[in-house]
Amino acid sequence: MQATKFQVKVYTKAGDIELEKLVPVFHEWIRAKKIPDELLIDVADYAHVPQGPGVVLIGHQSDYYLDVADDRPGLLYSRKRGFVGDFQAGIDDTFRRALLACKILEEESDLDFEFETGELLFRVQDRLNAPNADATYEAYEPALRQATSTFFGDSASFERLGGPREPFAVRIRTGVNASVDESLVRA
Amino acid sequence: MTSWKEQLGDQIPEPLAGEVDLFEGQIELKKQGKLDDKIFAETRLRRGVYGQRYDNGLRDDGTGQKPLAFPCGDLTKGPETVWDAPGMMRIKIPFGKLTADQLDVLSELAEENSDSILHVTTRQDIQLHFIHIEEAPDMMRRLAAVGITTREACGNSVRNVTACEYAGVCTTQAFDVTPYANAITQYLLGHPDVQDFGRKFKIAFSGCEDNPCGLVTFHDLGAVAQVRDGKRGFRVVVGGGLGAVPVQAKVLAEFCPEEELLPLAQAVSRVFARLGEKQSRARARIKFLVQKVGIDEFKRLVAEEREGLRPDERWTAFLDDLHSTDETPIREPGAIPSDATAAFQKWAKHNLKPQAQEGYYTAILKLPLGDFTSTQGRALAELAREYTGDAMRCTVEQNLAFRWLSGADAVAFYERLQALKMAEAGAGTITDMTSCPGTDTCKLGISASRGVTGELRKRLSVVQDQLDPAVQALRMKASGCFNSCGQHHAADIGFTGVSRQVGGRKVPHFNVVLGGQWTENAKSYGLVVGAVPSKNIPKAVELITTHYLANREGEESFHAFIARVGKKEFRKVLAPIQKPPSYEEDPSYYSDWGDPRVYGIGDIGIGECAGEIVPFVEFGLQEAEQQLHDAQDALEAGTAGAAAKGGFTAMVTAAKALVRHLEVQVKDDADDVVNNFKTHLYDTEVFHDPFAKGKFANYLLKMHGDKSYENANDETAHRTLDEAQLFLEAVHACYQRLTEAAAAAAAE
Repeated sequence: MQATKFQVKVYTKAGDIELEKLVPVFHEWIRAKKIPDELLIDVADYAHVPQGPGVVLIGHQSDYYLDVADDRPGLLYSRKRGFVGDFQAGIDDTFRRALLACKILEEESDLDFEFETGELLFRVQDRLNAPNADATYEAYEPALRQATSTFFGDSASFERLGGPREPFAVRIRTGVNASVDESLVRA
Repeated sequence: MTSWKEQLGDQIPEPLAGEVDLFEGQIELKKQGKLDDKIFAETRLRRGVYGQRYDNGLRDDGTGQKPLAFPCGDLTKGPETVWDAPGMMRIKIPFGKLTADQLDVLSELAEENSDSILHVTTRQDIQLHFIHIEEAPDMMRRLAAVGITTREACGNSVRNVTACEYAGVCTTQAFDVTPYANAITQYLLGHPDVQDFGRKFKIAFSGCEDNPCGLVTFHDLGAVAQVRDGKRGFRVVVGGGLGAVPVQAKVLAEFCPEEELLPLAQAVSRVFARLGEKQSRARARIKFLVQKVGIDEFKRLVAEEREGLRPDERWTAFLDDLHSTDETPIREPGAIPSDATAAFQKWAKHNLKPQAQEGYYTAILKLPLGDFTSTQGRALAELAREYTGDAMRCTVEQNLAFRWLSGADAVAFYERLQALKMAEAGAGTITDMTSCPGTDTCKLGISASRGVTGELRKRLSVVQDQLDPAVQALRMKASGCFNSCGQHHAADIGFTGVSRQVGGRKVPHFNVVLGGQWTENAKSYGLVVGAVPSKNIPKAVELITTHYLANREGEESFHAFIARVGKKEFRKVLAPIQKPPSYEEDPSYYSDWGDPRVYGIGDIGIGECAGEIVPFVEFGLQEAEQQLHDAQDALEAGTAGAAAKGGFTAMVTAAKALVRHLEVQVKDDADDVVNNFKTHLYDTEVFHDPFAKGKFANYLLKMHGDKSYENANDETAHRTLDEAQLFLEAVHACYQRLTEAAAAAAAE
């Protein structure tokens, strides 16, 4: 298997956030090149769409959403292209980048954001190579277990979500609620 | 790892499969440097793969323009268009009709290849943004497998054919135009006679004269259903268009029998391909050809062309099965429950329209700025499967229509929408605004049309229940630039993005356009009242509507009120908010809605030189603006000759101000001004901008040469004023560029 369009969503502690505040923050990320190895291009503001992608920092390799789908705000990291490495490294990298983005957001003084790691969402936006089916889950489960072990310890449990029309998605309960900083340090 | 090509196999019909393979091959050839930039650009445009803002590899981050270091290096996908830069895919949805399976696939593509948002356009397309060109072929294959093509969605070709979303279920239609719109779509798609246009060509159908859904008057070719002596046919109009200079279409045929519709369209296409302008894009739309030769000569040319056409069985074959596009309801008709909640009734008031077929309704889903998510898209597909069948239509007001909803299901349907957060009331009211992408993603955007529309939506949604019904009924539309994709000319209150130089800095503005008519297929267009800073647009709306309510006579409509009191009165209303505060007083005016970056090029210094020159040239521009306003008043007063002459005078005044800005001695007479303008600004291309080039200067030069402002009638005077308005905008823009260049030089 190859690394593909992986996504990880890390939820905010607060259930209600002011999306408009993200717009200047993401513009500043582009200006200041806050994520050194990413080409960041533009900011798309969809705050007007209920339960939508929120505010999106568009990059060449990846997008960063402050996503409000299901009325549960969170940082959604979305890999689009250009990953060099094997399947496991791709999954590990997705978790790492999501957590790093959360860390930078937590450090933004204008936001007062805090993320929690007790529950995460993992998705693959590639129906050709990862249809939302049992076989895909069986293929991904070991890699997900290894990645969550790296960042959160060995207590994680998984639940496949959604139907065949939806992207392959797994709810991850890590069994811990470490801070994003602690999770990154652990890895 | 398999591929979509293998996976979908023969689900992709020919010739679409071969066409996508060919495009994929062209992508490879371009990467190998074996295909010319311009040829590849037109190739991808004709496949619906469009450019997007910053695709030249440069972006102003608020402190100056910075390169975007895409990994592709020098590889391009067109002139000044970087290969790796994200682009937009425009997906043609003929007459807006969508099936549940199509909506599923569109939703999949939105989240796999875009940013999870599907955007409905003002021409019933769906657009996905931030697409990488190398992912386009597989997207096209997946679309083709459900019967969608992006072919000729962009480029110099026949664009998406539009039609009323109520076609077939409407209570006022002459007959269902859907099979005709479908037939012309299929017939002209890829037809050899439509491959050599100088510009795009837009076709629209309307089922009746009086209702606005088809908007045929601003299309290159429009067809309005008519029945004469029991026989079906169309009143066909040609040469309409919005864009920089809006033009009402002219009648080509008062009654074109149904069997003559396709050959007539073919003959028009051949005349356009043969005689339309090819060198200057600015004058290449068919409206310019119709204006140039006159409608009578154009009719003669089309008739002559029609005579010579080789008969084609497809011209009439579709008439044998006009019911092939009929939709079959999947639920029994029924009445809306009488005990429905107040919330439902509020939604139903504007969002539910009874169909011609008793017991059925069309539900309009009011989409915020034309957007919905991939998750919502999948849920809507399920709703269609459960309640209405494959009977969805994208609308020209950027909404989604669900037809064939049984009244008995209406409450349950509404509750499902509520769960999806898609049950917003007020479709077709003041809160249901239309906007083009503007500076969000469009390369040509000047101001943030989506930003200002979003802000107005937010504010008006809070108070919409308290608004007077006459204000609730108003339509507002915004375009980010003069190209008018937001269709602002046809709104009660329209906005078009412009910029102004204030104290050495750029300030985003919108021209306020009043008096457009949405009804009767957009029968008349509005005129500019004046430019207002973007941040004052919500205040402008408040002032305009308050003035209307306070001064209307009885139940007088807004359109009638504007016609009675004139735009001059509204200029007085807006005058107090037209001047922005200085940057030091309120810097928020120097950014646009939804974009915190300093508007325009933020690193312009305020040099002493610029500081001295600014008041002088701005004085001239203000004088020109006043002359143009007076000319608009003259037009309203019914003196077309004075109006046209005033418009020309305003252009000369603005040109003179700019010439003097270059420290060139110039006399007051028009000949000297125009000659100096041509020598110092046009011939040197100083006046040219990257997109329109010398288009707006040509308005002045041509008008000066042919004296067309003399002996003007209402229509030509209107056009003169539109051209004068655009020329003044171009003078403002040129002045800004000159100021920036001077400031940059001073900084060095």
